[in-house]
Amino acid sequence: MTTLSPTTAPVTQGNQIPRKRLYGIVAEFHDPAALMAAADKVRMAGFRWWDCHTPFPVHGLDKAMGIKRTILPVLVFGAGLTGTTIGFCLQAFTNAASFSIWALVWVTGYPFLISGKPLISMPAFIPVMFELTILLSALSAVGIMFLFNGLPRWNHPLLSNKRFLRVTDDRFFIVIESRDPRFFASRTEQFLKDLGAKAVEMVEA
Amino acid sequence: MSASAPVINLSSSNIRADGLSRPGFMLRLFGFAILVVAFFIGMRSPDQGLFLRFWMQSWLFVTTVSLGGLFFLIVHHISHAGWSVVVRRPAEAIASNLQWVWIGFLPFVFYWWKGDLSIIFPWANLDALKHISLEEAELVGKKTAFLNDKFFMIRAAVYLVTWFVLSRFFVSNSVAQDSDGSMARTKKLEKWAGPAAILFGLTTSFAAFDWIMSLNPAWFSTMFGVYFFVGCCTGGFAYIGIVCLRLQALGYLKGIITTEHYQDIGKLLFAFGVVFWAYIAFSQYMLIWYANIPEETAWFLARQLGEWRVVSVVLLFGHFILPFLFLISRWTKRWRGTLLFACVWMLASQWFDLFYLIQPTIPHDIGAYSSYEQILAHYANESAHFLNPWNWILLVGFMLMLVGTTLSRLSSMGLLCMKDPRLAESLRFENM
Repeated sequence: MTTLSPTTAPVTQGNQIPRKRLYGIVAEFHDPAALMAAADKVRMAGFRWWDCHTPFPVHGLDKAMGIKRTILPVLVFGAGLTGTTIGFCLQAFTNAASFSIWALVWVTGYPFLISGKPLISMPAFIPVMFELTILLSALSAVGIMFLFNGLPRWNHPLLSNKRFLRVTDDRFFIVIESRDPRFFASRTEQFLKDLGAKAVEMVEA
Repeated sequence: MSASAPVINLSSSNIRADGLSRPGFMLRLFGFAILVVAFFIGMRSPDQGLFLRFWMQSWLFVTTVSLGGLFFLIVHHISHAGWSVVVRRPAEAIASNLQWVWIGFLPFVFYWWKGDLSIIFPWANLDALKHISLEEAELVGKKTAFLNDKFFMIRAAVYLVTWFVLSRFFVSNSVAQDSDGSMARTKKLEKWAGPAAILFGLTTSFAAFDWIMSLNPAWFSTMFGVYFFVGCCTGGFAYIGIVCLRLQALGYLKGIITTEHYQDIGKLLFAFGVVFWAYIAFSQYMLIWYANIPEETAWFLARQLGEWRVVSVVLLFGHFILPFLFLISRWTKRWRGTLLFACVWMLASQWFDLFYLIQPTIPHDIGAYSSYEQILAHYANESAHFLNPWNWILLVGFMLMLVGTTLSRLSSMGLLCMKDPRLAESLRFENM
């Protein structure tokens, strides 16, 4: 993704005027309550590709935005079960496997008899199964979270907007992206102004 | 923070439950009557050791539940928790049961006074033990510096007095804050929660060693104190959930305890009562299984003989696998019907766990057999006593005392910590 500093004016080359792609429109609000009310209206207007940015977690904002619950927990549970299975198979295979492939290749594990325990004995396997469950759950939780959030990335178009930088301090923003099917630059700009935004600006990609 | 904060009803009809005083008193009276009658019949029964074990089981059940309430209070204060202020009063009512549970120890004092403590604790009479098993008597004889009846009684008094004082301290200061609103009380409770946690850990661990582990005095496990502590959490958190859910069903605390608080109680129950229990129980089992030393494995052997094997498997599924799958979802912790079911289930599991810990006895003639199969065959008909009437009569008696006292305390103390500095934070608590 290319980034442009906000001060750079479009460069003309010959007769052609290169048009920069519009990333979206940011609307600035000064307090969370105004943001919540506006977010409610943006959701009702039917936008899909839009987001709210706040300096701190705002209770009830997810509901106002109509964000559905993530399926991350289900995926993590699946990853955990995979870990349990791998843990069992790994030990059962290395400790007790003994078979041939078409009577040509003999595959055997490394059977170890310890104090007369059977080769496949669950109590001894459980710690490894447990650890692999935790390992895969934790790694997949972090990994899938990064994936869902589109991370890692070097930059984001919004960071080129001077006004937007105050999002980490005391300003609240709604961003509607241009890829939204209901997005029309002028109309959406007016829509956001009508919601009571203190400032509305275009952001280029 | 939300744009339209709901109005919270703090009128006395919502946060006072004066009507619970009378039923609470009646339940306590019935429970106490049942226990007294049961004791006078039980002490004349042919197998008094069995009766005392059932007594120990049900008495420890209500004790662990009350200790769970105390643990909740200690953790609340030590971590300066905000979310749990609205559910703290029910926990305080549960913890204040520790002010009567010492009564349940009196039968053991009585048998000690009669000189018959060995009827339940084999270490109390080494000569009798020698006649049954010389090896065991020799092992246990080396522990007399710790396992002797006088020191045993002194220790029991220390535990019971400590719990009495701790529950008194945490509950009375909180109740006094309702009228004087002093911030100093919150600070004092938070300051003393640290030492209280240490005292709590030491007393519960040693109580477990004394009252459950020493029933089989040759056996030992360093995990056992933690196992008992997890039992306290299981029972305590499950009972806090039940009390809160029932209070709301009766029309109290409307709009004060919300789905968000229930989800957190469910999380605690899931983490401590289900997962941590399995973790500790398995850690204890695996070390002993792996080392395979006869004096350690005998305890688990006793729990695999005859029908005890069924009890062990039921415990594994009932205390861990089924509740794990049931409570892992978010919605089962948030919907009241499923949470109530899970709480009742886990409370029953804690009682069943104590049954599993206390009732099986290691056969003294283990040495006479040459193989595990022979022992299994000989003890195949060992009955699990689960349907023994004492098991149920004593449970009902102690539960009536527990529920009755909890209701009485709730009606006398009010249902909400009105002047707690973190009340507002708790009222608008939300899981992110």
